[in-house]
Amino acid sequence: MNTGNSDREGGKEGGKDVIVETISRVMVPFIQLFALYVIMHGSSGPGGGFQGGVIFGASFVLLVIAFGIVNAGDRFPEAVNTALFSTGVYIYAGVGLLCLISGILYFGVIEAQYLNYGYLPLPVHFEERRALGMDFIEIGVGITVMAVIAEIFFNLAWKKEEDEGEGEGEGIEKGEPE
Amino acid sequence: MKLISLSALLFVILLGALFIYVAEDIPDFGDPYSAPNRYIKLFSMDAAELEDNLNQGVIPKSLADKIADRGLPLPTRVKSVKEGEWDFFLVPEEKQQAFFPKEQKYYFIKKEGDELEVYRYALIIRWIEEGEEETEVPNMVTYGLADYRGYDTLGETTVIFTAGVSVLLLLRRRGKRPEARKL
Amino acid sequence: MMEWLLEEVFAKYNYWISITIMLIGFYAMIAKGNLIKKLIGLSIFQTAIFLFFISLADIGPIPRGTAPIVSKEIIQKGYVYVNPLPHVLILTAIVVSVATLAVALALVIRMYEEYRTIEEEEIIEKERELGV
Repeated sequence: MNTGNSDREGGKEGGKDVIVETISRVMVPFIQLFALYVIMHGSSGPGGGFQGGVIFGASFVLLVIAFGIVNAGDRFPEAVNTALFSTGVYIYAGVGLLCLISGILYFGVIEAQYLNYGYLPLPVHFEERRALGMDFIEIGVGITVMAVIAEIFFNLAWKKEEDEGEGEGEGIEKGEPE
Repeated sequence: MKLISLSALLFVILLGALFIYVAEDIPDFGDPYSAPNRYIKLFSMDAAELEDNLNQGVIPKSLADKIADRGLPLPTRVKSVKEGEWDFFLVPEEKQQAFFPKEQKYYFIKKEGDELEVYRYALIIRWIEEGEEETEVPNMVTYGLADYRGYDTLGETTVIFTAGVSVLLLLRRRGKRPEARKL
Repeated sequence: MMEWLLEEVFAKYNYWISITIMLIGFYAMIAKGNLIKKLIGLSIFQTAIFLFFISLADIGPIPRGTAPIVSKEIIQKGYVYVNPLPHVLILTAIVVSVATLAVALALVIRMYEEYRTIEEEEIIEKERELGV
């Protein structure tokens, strides 16, 4: 398994294996679909936000194994991943804030609570609003966990470029104590 | 062997001896009346004629006195679950009416041999029995994580966000190419 | 003798298994010199703790507890539910352990770039040579 910085024209170090590439190209959409199923069916069976997010992140690891890290890394630039980190937390805290504001508007300041999904402004009865609030929250958690696991893997496995030199403050080997 | 391996082995053996000493307090595997699994044992007393009183639905005075001696609230109603097992219910005080509007199960009496054993239900009983009516979600773990313990899950999401940001700051590997960084 | 064995050892076998795995992980954290082996010991230790905590939630032997998903047919058949509270707490703890392991691995990579070795004793010697 070569996950070094290999290009497509690289040839020998590229590790082009037709079987692995083809099968992973077919399997990755199904893995992501299964991850979405696990997130959304957290209410009526085993599952939930954390579990589905990890499965989603594992599909990116499969892409890295099959195609090399530079090719897979071009599909998920660092800016997009970093934006997805915080989107999940915003969704979670945003649902809570919406409950608070809606509770203040409809029921008065004393009775409004921060994460009480019964006060959401939806046209169904009280108990069903709690179930829908839980679904929103699991989506937020799933997005954050997916982005974090993919980004941790890319950062740990990326090879540092040698021509950049060992410039910034690594003078221990050169033997010059301060 | 090196010095640190020997001292580590000694420390581990002493720790193992401590764990063996503690083993008598741990409940059995699969014990239905242990403290984590819904029942906390309070005391046990002689049966005498109390069983007939309980079967008819009357709370005997000696039992109520003994419960009040420990400073616990008094029960108001008896109901029989099975042969030899009874549930006590009580109506909550004024302050807790917003969270527990109905009467709740509080004590559990079991007859074993010649003695009556008195247990108290742990708070998990509301999670298991009334949680599905309050939130229409069948999965106990999900409504426990996202509704009753929603604040903890918010903190949890923040923890994993922080881990992602710290790895990103420690190892700056991806990002723009170095030609773009130098000015 | 037989009674003691039956009551203390065989009735609580979840506790003994968890203690054994925990002590193996703890020994690896202290006594090994390689940094990666210490992290593996940390991971083994955490797994033993999760195992012990979840095994406290089981109800048995007759009737055995089933998975905590409420459904009317299971209540009519007379089954008992497993205690769901430890499952909730351990879900949070697993995520914390993943986060800790990720940051620790990132630190090991940075230490390798600085000192060019991951043995603990060689790092101490290099630091001593610098006169710090």
